[in-house]
Amino acid sequence: MGQKGFFTDTTLCIGCKACEVACKQWNQLPEDGFAFTGMSYDNTGQLGASTWRHVAFIERPVPTPEKDTTLPAFRWLMESDVCKHCQRAGCLEACPTGAIIRTEFDTVYVQPDVCNGCGYCISACPFGVIDRREEDGRAWKCTLCYDRIGEDMTPACAKACPTESIQYGDLEALHGRAEQRLAALHALGVTDAYLYGKDAQSQPGTGGLNAFFLLLEKPEVYNLPPYPVVPTVFGNESWRSAGVAAVGAMGIALAAVLFGRSQRG
Amino acid sequence: MKSLPGFDVKTLESPKGDGRNVDASRGILVGEGAQQRSVHQEVPAHPLPRTAPQGGTSPTYYEQPMLKQPVWRWMVPAYFYTGGMAGGAALLGGAIGLFGGGRFARLEQRCYQVGFVNASVSGVLLIADLGRPTRFLNMMRVFRPTSPMNLGVWLLSGAVVSLGFGVTVSRSRLWPLAMLGRAGCFVFGAPLASYTGVLLANTAVPLWQSARKSLPLLFMGSALASSSAALEMLPLEEDERKLVGLFALVGRAAELAMGVALEREVRAEGARVEQPLRTGASGALWKASKVLTGASLALTLVSRKSKRWDQVAAVAATLGALALRFGIYHAGSRTTRDARASFEPQRERAEGIRLPVVP
Repeated sequence: MGQKGFFTDTTLCIGCKACEVACKQWNQLPEDGFAFTGMSYDNTGQLGASTWRHVAFIERPVPTPEKDTTLPAFRWLMESDVCKHCQRAGCLEACPTGAIIRTEFDTVYVQPDVCNGCGYCISACPFGVIDRREEDGRAWKCTLCYDRIGEDMTPACAKACPTESIQYGDLEALHGRAEQRLAALHALGVTDAYLYGKDAQSQPGTGGLNAFFLLLEKPEVYNLPPYPVVPTVFGNESWRSAGVAAVGAMGIALAAVLFGRSQRG
Repeated sequence: MKSLPGFDVKTLESPKGDGRNVDASRGILVGEGAQQRSVHQEVPAHPLPRTAPQGGTSPTYYEQPMLKQPVWRWMVPAYFYTGGMAGGAALLGGAIGLFGGGRFARLEQRCYQVGFVNASVSGVLLIADLGRPTRFLNMMRVFRPTSPMNLGVWLLSGAVVSLGFGVTVSRSRLWPLAMLGRAGCFVFGAPLASYTGVLLANTAVPLWQSARKSLPLLFMGSALASSSAALEMLPLEEDERKLVGLFALVGRAAELAMGVALEREVRAEGARVEQPLRTGASGALWKASKVLTGASLALTLVSRKSKRWDQVAAVAATLGALALRFGIYHAGSRTTRDARASFEPQRERAEGIRLPVVP
C-alpha cells in the first residue's frame, strides 16, 4: 500500500534496453513489428500498446566535460520513458467506462476486461503514452507491474535495470533519493540537472507524476512536453461555452416558435 | 495459478507415469499483456510518421510526434454531424410541442422523425467505431462528470428515448408520456448538439484544445443549420417554412460567425497550431465549409419568397456542416503529428507563469 512510483535518473542510463526486454517478457507483450528507424540506436521509436518502456537515444552537439578538446562536441542522452502515472491523469478522467482506475498504490491501471476501445484516453493523454492496438481494439499502457507490486515485488523494468537508472519504491522515499542525487550532481558541477514532474509545484498541470525523471536538457529534447496539463482543465472551460450555446439555442427555438405562432395568428 | 478462458490446466498436464516431469500449466501465458490480440506482421504496428513540418524554434526527438494521433475513424466526425442534427431537430420539436399551442403538430412530428432517425444512426456510428463494439454498454456502467464522452452517451440516450416518445405517442391520448417526450427533447436536444465541442476540447490535441471556447458554439450553430436544412428538404407549408427559416437563418449566421471566432482563438495559440486550417486537405475542407455556409446564409436571406432557393440553401448548408465536422477533425489530427505544435505554446505558457525548475 501507499504511493508507489518510479524515479528514472537519465544520467545513469546506459541504453542497454534491459527494461524494455524485461517489461515485454514479464507482461508477455506481443511484438509490434521489427523496424529499422534510422534514428540513432532507437528502433523502438515510441511507447505504444505493446511497448510500455521505451529507451530514447538522443545525440546532442554538447562538448564533453573532459579536458581533451580534440573530440567533437557530442554527447549521448539516454532516457527510459514510461507511463507517468500522473496525479491528475488525463486518460483516467476521460475514460467513459471507468475501465481506467487509480489503484491502492496510487498508480493508474487500465482494466482490460472493461475497456471497450473508445479511444478517448489516447487523445486525452498529454504525454502520448497510452495507445490502442488495431487487432486487439483495447487501450493498453504500463501497469507499473500491478501484478508484481501487489506481491511486494519490484516492477520488471526496475528489477532488470543494471545501473539503477530506474528506481522503484515509495514515492516519498524516491523524492528524498532524487533530491539527494540532484544535490550530488550539482556539487559535481552538473548544474543543468533538474527533476521533471516531481511534484505539483514543478508541474501544476498534472499535479506531479508518480513516475518522474531527472533530466539534463529541456524536456522537448526527450520528447516530453514542457508544460503538460490534464485536458479536463480545458474541458471545464469548454463546458461553460457549451452551456451558453445550449441556452442560446433554446432561446432561438423558442423565438422561432413564437414567431411562427404570430405568423399563423 | 489462474488460467486463461478456454484452457483447462488439468487436461494440459502430462498423464502420470510417462516419465515426463513437466508442469504444463507453466506454458500458459498469464501475463498482463498476453491477452493482447495480435497478428504477425512485417510492418510495424506503429509505423513512424514522418510528416512533421520542418523548421521552428523548439528541439524535437528526431522530428517525431510527441502525442498519439486520434484513433477515431470517419464514424466520429460523421456522428458529430448526425448527432448535431438530432439535437437541433429534437430541440425544435420539443419547443413546438411545449410552446406551439398545438398549432404546428405536423412540423413537430417531422422534427421528431428527423431527430429519431439521426439519433439512431448516431448510436450505430459510435458503436461501430469502438475497438470492442460488443462492449458498448460498458459506457453506461458509470456516470462520470469528468468524461464528456460518458456524459454524451447519457445525453444521446436521453434524446433517443425522448424522440422515441415524440415519434410514437406525441399525437396519441397518452399525454403524460407525450409531455415527457416533449420536455425531454427540449432539455436534451441543445446540449446533445453542443457537447461534442467539449468532447474535442477535452483532449491534448493542440488545435481542439486551443479552440475550447468557440468549438461548442460553432458546433451548436452548425447543428441548427444542418437540422433546419433537413427539415427544409421536406415539403413544408408556408408558415412552417417561415418558422424553420428563422431557425435556419440564426443557425447559419452563428456557424459562420463562430468559424471566424475559432480562427481567432486558434491563431492566438500560434501559427503551427493554425496551419492545418489553412493548408492541405483539412484546410480545403475548412475553406469549403466557410464558403458553403456563407452561400447558404446569403441564399436564406434573399430567398424569403422562393421555395426552390430555400432548398438550394439547404443543400449548401448540409454540405457546409459536413465539411466543417470533417475539417475540424482532420485539422486537429494533423496537429498531433507535429510535436512543436504542442511544445511551443506550452513553453510560452510555462514561461508566462515562470515555472521554477523546468529550464
